[in-house]
Amino acid sequence: MAISSRQRPPWLTSSETAFFDTSDFAMIDLKFERVSKKYKLPSNGDRPKRWYSRGLGRKSGQMWALRNVSFEVNEGEALGIVGHNGAGKTTIMKILAGITTPTSGEISIRGRLAALVEVSSGFHPELTGCENVYLHGAMLGMRRSEIRKKLESIVEFSGVGRYIEVPVKRYSSGMYVRLGFAIAAHLDPDILLLDEVLAVGDAAFQAKCLERIAELRKSGRTIVFISHDLAAVYRLCDRAILLSHGCILSDGAPRQVIDEYQQMTFADQGDSMDEEIESGIPARCTGIEFSAPESPLGIQTGYPFVARLSYKALRRIPDAVFRISIYWPSGYLCSQLTTESVNGGCQIQPGTGVIEFQCPELPVVAGLYRVDLAIESKGQEIDMRQRCATLRVGPGKIAYGDFYIENAWTLNHTPAVENRAILATGQ
Amino acid sequence: MSMSTPQIAAGIEATLTPVARAASSEASADLARPARPVKVIHPPSFSLSTVFTGLRTLLQYSDLLYTLSLFRLSVRYKQSALGWTWAALQPLALMGIYTVIFTRVTTVATAGIPYPVFVFSGLLPWIFFSSTISNAVQGLVLYPNLLTKMYFPREIIPLSYMIASFTDFCIASVILGGLMVHYKVPLTWHMLYAIPIMLLMAGFAASIALFFSAVQVRFRDVGLAMPFLLQVWMFTVPVVYSLQSVPVKFRGIYLLDPVSGLIDGFRNAVLHGGTPDFRALALCFGVVLASMPLAYGYFKSSEATMADVI
Repeated sequence: MAISSRQRPPWLTSSETAFFDTSDFAMIDLKFERVSKKYKLPSNGDRPKRWYSRGLGRKSGQMWALRNVSFEVNEGEALGIVGHNGAGKTTIMKILAGITTPTSGEISIRGRLAALVEVSSGFHPELTGCENVYLHGAMLGMRRSEIRKKLESIVEFSGVGRYIEVPVKRYSSGMYVRLGFAIAAHLDPDILLLDEVLAVGDAAFQAKCLERIAELRKSGRTIVFISHDLAAVYRLCDRAILLSHGCILSDGAPRQVIDEYQQMTFADQGDSMDEEIESGIPARCTGIEFSAPESPLGIQTGYPFVARLSYKALRRIPDAVFRISIYWPSGYLCSQLTTESVNGGCQIQPGTGVIEFQCPELPVVAGLYRVDLAIESKGQEIDMRQRCATLRVGPGKIAYGDFYIENAWTLNHTPAVENRAILATGQ
Repeated sequence: MSMSTPQIAAGIEATLTPVARAASSEASADLARPARPVKVIHPPSFSLSTVFTGLRTLLQYSDLLYTLSLFRLSVRYKQSALGWTWAALQPLALMGIYTVIFTRVTTVATAGIPYPVFVFSGLLPWIFFSSTISNAVQGLVLYPNLLTKMYFPREIIPLSYMIASFTDFCIASVILGGLMVHYKVPLTWHMLYAIPIMLLMAGFAASIALFFSAVQVRFRDVGLAMPFLLQVWMFTVPVVYSLQSVPVKFRGIYLLDPVSGLIDGFRNAVLHGGTPDFRALALCFGVVLASMPLAYGYFKSSEATMADVI
């Protein structure tokens, strides 16, 4: 909503107006400006330097958890932060929450912020569930009157029920965590920080948590979400940041950032495709190749797709089954191309060969997938190459969700009754 | 399907318009949503403003201080058969031992006050002081998860121990009243002087607790030395003997420790019904007044990196 020159207050210069323009539509809730954080690493263990061991060459090292990190989060935006262990994700969280301070740089936070780092860490085992709700709620910055009002709803959400008057040391670990999340879910922050909090509870409770987070999102809260569950980042966030060794590598749409993260991860993982055949192995996969015969833009959702798996066999295998397994970013099996059929597999002779799978249209949506190759015979694994290749699918036909469903549609329109009446009188 | 699309779009437009309109001028934007506080985080710096911002945040978390102190008390006596009796039992037991030593083995001048009441009146403020410090020093490192996973003003932990100890002090004060009646020591209005004296004591206990608990996070030596240090400290202040037994020429130095002046002032007000020595109290007041901002400032500046070093 740019302000037209007609509305512009006369005392503002043009540069100020420009600021006005950008700031009034998207308010910035979080701003990191060139933030760095250094940790000291004692060279032997956690012990402080002792007076009697001084000067014995014990130098303490240092580690930069964040280097010159700058980013902004707009009001109502959900930002995901991904990266391998030790990339600096939790450091960002801790600085935002006020648990630790940056070594240099500046952070501005607009509004009330709540950090859910480990939801039940504030619990005292000797206190009852109810007492812990008061204690933990107060630690998260709630007033007693506020907690009193929400107590019933918290207990209901947690599903702890009548055990609320029992000391939490008698709780099962699930109850413990559920109560912790229930308190956190009843905070009323402007900005919510979530660090791996979803990795708790049973499936039903996780669904409930996700629902609650989605609800908070819908009501316009700003969310910063840190997780190794890439599928959850993709589902929850509008934007993502990839961190590596304390630096931001990329910042953009979740799918694209997740792709990049995976590429980075795959680069140093997975089995190789060497042609050497170890003794005792009758056959090996020697290569995989994906292509899109008709699409000039490469492999795309909804367009023809071909996968060629080459193999080398030393012996005759009467009942061979080839598999190409395609995995989601989250690690779940997405789908499989296989020669398996009710009648069993195919017969291969010693030598080399290529299996070609032809798909008239590729149903998987845009993204980067990991690929496993396998050869089996009578249920026995002959060769298995894990994570040996990646499949990059570009956005082709419009598809939301996980799959593209090939379809055709027609429109059958029935005019409303009064329209028909008007039409009738008109005639 | 395609017919309804413009309608949906129009609906979005309609819902967007008030927001957009509100945002288009600063004044109406302020009316539309409550102004949000903006917090700016800088690298830690050491200035007087740390103390003020710290106090302001502490005020926001006053409910946590209350809740935590309340639960400290209830946790302490959970799963114990004697429960709250413990608050009175500890000073009573110490009173018994010191009475035997200082009336059978040796004697001290008590200005006509029966020794049990005399020593009890010294033990009460001392136990408040020493238990505050010994609990507070261990308090921060007892649950490192609290420091590394959550944020709240860390001083709340040592302060909550102080409040819990103060409650114990109040319970034991009732016993002191009973003892005074039993030993026929007259109760006078001058006892009320004990209130400002105890407030000063609380202030000094808080300073020492804040300082040493912050050091303890870095150097666990503090926790190891504290029981010994407190034992020595007790004999340097007039708990088991009276201030009058201290040679006059040493009293100036002796009273530099506010604990000495305060315990003597407490006993004087409660047992002797006298007006306190205002000169000594002024000195205590000065020391406490200086130590509080220093200890708090040190604590707050060390708080910034507590989570990293614990």
